[in-house]
Amino acid sequence: MIIKVENLTKVFKSYQRGNTFGEAVKSLFVRKPIYVHALKGISFNIEEGELVGFLGPNGAGKSTTLKILTGIMHPSGGKAEIMGYTPWKDRKKYVAKIGAVFGQKSQLLWDIPPVDAFYLNKAIYSIPERSFKKTLHKMVELLGVEELIKKPTRQLSLGERMKCEFIMAMLHKPKIVFLDEPTIGLDVIAKDKIREFILEMNRNGVTFILTTHDLDDIAHLAQRVIVVNHGEIVFDDSLTTLRNYLGVKKIISVSTMRPLPELRLPGIKITNRISDYKAELELDLSKYELNKFIALVNKSSTIMDLSVQDPEIEEVIKGLYH
Amino acid sequence: MMTNFRLYLQGVKVALSSRMAYRGDFFMSMIIMLLVEMGAPLLTILIYHNGASFPGWTMYEALLLQGVFLLAKGIAFPFFFGIVWNTIGRVQEGTFDLLLIKPKSVLFLAIVTAFDSEDLGKLLGGITLFALSLSEIPPPGLWEWLQFAALFFIALTTLFGFALILAGLGIVWIGNFRVYDIFESVVNFGKYPAALFSKSVQTMITLIIPIAILGYIPATALLGKPAAGTWSAVTVSVVFLLFSLWFWHWMLKKYSSAGG
Repeated sequence: MIIKVENLTKVFKSYQRGNTFGEAVKSLFVRKPIYVHALKGISFNIEEGELVGFLGPNGAGKSTTLKILTGIMHPSGGKAEIMGYTPWKDRKKYVAKIGAVFGQKSQLLWDIPPVDAFYLNKAIYSIPERSFKKTLHKMVELLGVEELIKKPTRQLSLGERMKCEFIMAMLHKPKIVFLDEPTIGLDVIAKDKIREFILEMNRNGVTFILTTHDLDDIAHLAQRVIVVNHGEIVFDDSLTTLRNYLGVKKIISVSTMRPLPELRLPGIKITNRISDYKAELELDLSKYELNKFIALVNKSSTIMDLSVQDPEIEEVIKGLYH
Repeated sequence: MMTNFRLYLQGVKVALSSRMAYRGDFFMSMIIMLLVEMGAPLLTILIYHNGASFPGWTMYEALLLQGVFLLAKGIAFPFFFGIVWNTIGRVQEGTFDLLLIKPKSVLFLAIVTAFDSEDLGKLLGGITLFALSLSEIPPPGLWEWLQFAALFFIALTTLFGFALILAGLGIVWIGNFRVYDIFESVVNFGKYPAALFSKSVQTMITLIIPIAILGYIPATALLGKPAAGTWSAVTVSVVFLLFSLWFWHWMLKKYSSAGG
């Protein structure tokens, strides 16, 4: 077990401010404290080499968990043991063994090339010259950024910068890497390259913990998903189990030679009737079997084309949040 | 120790490369910094050329005091005072967290990433003013130089203390760059001989907020006429430095327990 988290809680103290001018003036002198329970006792374990996705709506407690696990923030209660360290107590020793990429906070320096920032990290982590050059060469090749690392950061595109952020986080060969929305704002090609890189590093034994709003990231990368809502874990299992969680459903698109029947049967829900001959529908397999459905439609209307897909992960997640 | 020194040098190199990306602005900023700091010495020259004076001080002695003050700022501001703007800016942008995920002391990293090349103008001005005024007064003896060196070092530690307090305030008082304006108006008292001020102000700048140590006290030691209360000012400065270190760590604890 590389990460053990037990009953982690975090309570923030904030102050209530009014929205009228009078209340704003009053709040200059008297402020009413509010206590926000960001984490209400979450527990989970992660094995070495796992790639775990952390999902949840805004304010669910994902970033708070990540900040506690990276040693940035102290929890209000509970325990966390990562590689034998308590992140907020053994910060300096612990952070030498982890890496982090924050999609919205850059570790690069705007006016100088990424390679200069890499050298600053080399000095911070006391990485020996030979090991530094070897790792840098490998990362640069994997991400295809040989020419880019010598250009000033401000001249790079968001995708190119993000690739360099990954190099920055991996130079000291961390055993665990925390990723906070690493593909935010990236185009499809850049996302694919980053995802390939994460998978390659994961195959080499690096454990990844990924928080994201992009469910495609989860679908492409995560072997396991932890869903957090209102400071509590509402789901912790594989992506397949997550898809099955709310019932085994299929999304079907069908085109026929003759007009489609009404199909008002239990387990069949037409979501979009495009024409008399074409429709999209949702089939609940626990109520109506797929082969029976195909036989029914073929008999009544003769199928010309039919596609069967799993439901969009967004729909499954929405179900969990409610 | 050597590793940390190498890291600091790397930080300086990175900051210089970063600043020199805009060459015109780099040189202009240095010149502007120099001109801003020359206001007090020019005023002193104007006062003496109009027949007035600071009682008990010749013009070059007064300029030496201001040279010492500017030299102290000229060392502090480029090399470590930048933690004030670095901390305030990072807390405001949310990038202060990035210092906490590195395996070094947060204070050290805040210094390493805060080298401020623009303020080298202050250092240049300080060296020039100090050397010019020194050449116009009787040469100090070895004992005076030794006393001056010790007191000047304490002046630097006091400026470090001020930087820690201002940066610490920046952690909890988000985005408030005004703290520097308050500091600047308070330390202005350090540019002039303490005897110019009332007794209560003298007590305040020597024994409560150690401002006299930034210029006046080291300058009097170099001139061979040590100020009354030098030892008390040294003691207050040491206590001030210890307090500021405690204050910084307290504010840092507040940040990590509150999440910024």
